[in-house]
Amino acid sequence: MHKKMAFSFPDEVLEHVFSFIQSDKDRNAVSMVCKSWYEIERWCRRKVFVGNCYAVSPRMVIRRFPEFRSIELKGKPHFADFNLVPDGWGGYVFPWIAEMAGAYPWLEEIRLKRMVVTDESLELIAKSFKNFKVLVLSSCEGFSTDGLAAIAASCKNLKELDLRDCEVDDLSAHWLSHFPETYTSLVSLNISCLGSDEASFSALERLVHRCTNLKTLRLNRAVPLDKIANILRHAPQLVEFGTGTYTADVRPDVYSDLAGVLSSCKELKSLSGFWDVIPDYLPAIYPVCSKLTSLNLSYATIQSPDLIKLVSHCPNLQRLLVLDYIEDSGLEVLASSCKDLQELRVFPSDPFGAEPNVSLTEQGLVAVSLGCPKLQSVLYFCRRMSNEALVTIARSRPNFTRFRLCIIEPKTADYLTLEPLDVGFGAIVQYCKDLRRLSLSGLLTDRVFEYIGTYAKKLEMLSVAFAGDSDLGLHHVLSGCESLRKLEIRDCPFGDKALLANAAKLETMRSLWMSSCAVSFAACKLLGQKMPRLNVEVIDERGPPDSRPENCPVDKLYIYRSIAGPRFDMPPFVWTMDEDSGLRLS
Amino acid sequence: MSEVDMAVIKPEMMKSYIWLQTADGSIQQVEQEVAMFCPMICHEVIQKGMGSSKNYAISLPQRVNPAMLSLILDYCRFHQVPGRSNKERKSFDEKFIRMDTKRLCELTSAADSLQLKPLVDLTSRALARIIEGKSPEEIREIFHLPDDLTEEEKLEPLKNTTDDPRIRLLNRLYAKKRKELKERQKLKNIEVEEERVDDRSVDDLLSFINGDNGDSKGIKNSKSKKKNRRRKDQQKTTSANEAIKNHNKEPNGLNQVCHSAEVGQKVRAGVGATSNLHDVEDNIFDNKNELDDGDIDDEIDPALKEKIDREVEDFARRLNSDWPERMQEILSFGHERKPVHFSLNGNGSLRRYANSEQR
Repeated sequence: MHKKMAFSFPDEVLEHVFSFIQSDKDRNAVSMVCKSWYEIERWCRRKVFVGNCYAVSPRMVIRRFPEFRSIELKGKPHFADFNLVPDGWGGYVFPWIAEMAGAYPWLEEIRLKRMVVTDESLELIAKSFKNFKVLVLSSCEGFSTDGLAAIAASCKNLKELDLRDCEVDDLSAHWLSHFPETYTSLVSLNISCLGSDEASFSALERLVHRCTNLKTLRLNRAVPLDKIANILRHAPQLVEFGTGTYTADVRPDVYSDLAGVLSSCKELKSLSGFWDVIPDYLPAIYPVCSKLTSLNLSYATIQSPDLIKLVSHCPNLQRLLVLDYIEDSGLEVLASSCKDLQELRVFPSDPFGAEPNVSLTEQGLVAVSLGCPKLQSVLYFCRRMSNEALVTIARSRPNFTRFRLCIIEPKTADYLTLEPLDVGFGAIVQYCKDLRRLSLSGLLTDRVFEYIGTYAKKLEMLSVAFAGDSDLGLHHVLSGCESLRKLEIRDCPFGDKALLANAAKLETMRSLWMSSCAVSFAACKLLGQKMPRLNVEVIDERGPPDSRPENCPVDKLYIYRSIAGPRFDMPPFVWTMDEDSGLRLS
Repeated sequence: MSEVDMAVIKPEMMKSYIWLQTADGSIQQVEQEVAMFCPMICHEVIQKGMGSSKNYAISLPQRVNPAMLSLILDYCRFHQVPGRSNKERKSFDEKFIRMDTKRLCELTSAADSLQLKPLVDLTSRALARIIEGKSPEEIREIFHLPDDLTEEEKLEPLKNTTDDPRIRLLNRLYAKKRKELKERQKLKNIEVEEERVDDRSVDDLLSFINGDNGDSKGIKNSKSKKKNRRRKDQQKTTSANEAIKNHNKEPNGLNQVCHSAEVGQKVRAGVGATSNLHDVEDNIFDNKNELDDGDIDDEIDPALKEKIDREVEDFARRLNSDWPERMQEILSFGHERKPVHFSLNGNGSLRRYANSEQR
């Protein structure tokens, strides 16, 4: 076999080629081809993504990528959304901001998910980055409107301020007036999570009026329906709009005002908000429905007939978020009207109720799977499921990439046969070859994990609760799922053996969360000692784990790979197992 | 070529030719309007007065060989015509760019040396598309690049590397350990079989997997494992039903929670769930006492079964080779077993004590 000479490129040409390669995965692949590509790539990487803020230190990132303009960081594990991660666990962004403030005055974009952001951090951002353009905070907490005021006042080039599902301390609605009168560059504003205090409408109106490039505006619940018309009148160019509360006394002038101004928004593609909807005002949005590609009705407590009417006006819908009030009948209409549907999320209106309050069953999901050829992402809450339904769904919709099924009551069996739902989920992983994300529920034995380990070769994230019989289940997943990056498990009988036997696998994943399982403290210590590139965190609010016998199971376990070593910002109920002492207190 | 340049050129020259010489010595003449589409050639003509005759042929950069020149001129010949629509140009580009990667690389390089930016962009984008979605090995193969990153620099699973010397040392040890593991997995079955006979702790593990009395040879007993699981399933279903009835009041915990503001309450892990866990734990350890009633036909398909058989084999082999005595201790928790003693040789491989010492 003759050896071919490598084709030589000048560096600038290679850099130019790399400028067309943007995804993190591809950039990482490029950087590992050879030494010269590594060097060139690191100097021209402009966007850095760090999936776990504790996997690497800010200094390391800055040293390797001297010229990035945009950073995305994620903090707490996903199960924090379900209150499984105690307050104070960590995920503080301040150290990152502090390091970057010194090294990177030209940073333009910061995107954070599940991190603790303080007003101090926001003030530092406002002060340090002169060309700051984009701030996206997703499921973050720890800051107040004072921090937002600092951003508004100082960031003259701000284009995007997006607060999604954040917990914000609403001290004053007047932070909006801190945007100077000369400021006009806003393109995207999402304040939907802000509190219900009286907002400063005039400041908002003036802001919308002077920012003629505004494309996305998502208001919070406090903005009343009759104010929307005034706001929208100044922004007919909007592409994405979120209403505030969608209720008011039924008045024809308010209605016609609203309908008129909405129909003049010719570019509108996405609607959300709709708190407290009263059906009388719904038809106001019919004129824009035919162009809608995304509709978020997850706060809209309207019943099935109104939902059906609304949905049948939206033939181009690609994304729908809705409460289970839509019922099976509504989903059938959706299946026949919305052939472009790609993503569906159905949330429970009454998850804690003992009896179902709506007629939403597995049939709705089957209907949508059969009827919508482009459907690839589903999050579905329901109260019953059958293997038969799951097999039908799998066979008819092999293009699923995300399948999250949440049968509300844990360990619910197939309602037709009373068997576990192993075969049903097995069909999902067998037929849906590109499945990247899966959430399991219902009665499940080790067998479902066999199927997953055998077939789910592209699976990247798996969520498991109240499932499995033994360590073999976990072993199948860890040894079989080649692409697995995130695994989160709660209340399953998985213990030490599978974990220890597959320890090397853990280094190929971003993280593993196990709570209320059967992993002993001794195993945690061993893992921490043997695997220096893993941080093994034991989270236990009952007190130090060494105050109990070693074979006692730990309450919560969070394992993640890291080249930054153990962290030092842990609260008293978190311990990192490491090589030195086997037990390190914060 | 700008308006100014056009004005400078004398009208007689409009229909004439430019002489170009490639690095191999060959000289050719090219229609002026085509050649002048390249900024580098344009510069040579206007600033230096070159290219008007054979003796004063413009020397092209080394990266432009005759084949590449021909391609570039084709490109220029098409695009320099002003009347074409965007659609036409795009269609031409798409067809033009279809060539093997090696030529594409050469073309990118040649276009760059002639400063022909639109062609550089076109070829660069095409190369980017080739690179996208591929692994580093694949990219190396396509572009014939050396594999010269060190083990520690590769840190494959991790997104970022570091030059911390301590980490580099650890990584070197890791790479070594990984290699050893791979080698060990290539060992013959026979050797593993023998070891298994003597190694009681691994046996325990296998019997736990297989759910029988512990005198297993591991591999062929997946059937009994399935049978036991089915029995357990039935147990579990009934207990699960009871659990549902008992824990109805207390929210046992959703595995997802609505993002709706109305359902703002988050869920606490149900206390009742823990008791189920202990039941299951006992089941695991009780498995060993259940007798093997003989073969029972499962509905599991043979290919999957074979795969599972191989899984168990792998599991056992990995356990046997990976971990020293500490692991064995952990595994034998709660059972009276004598740990098997291993020791590490100087070269890092495991050596077992002679059989006689164990018995």
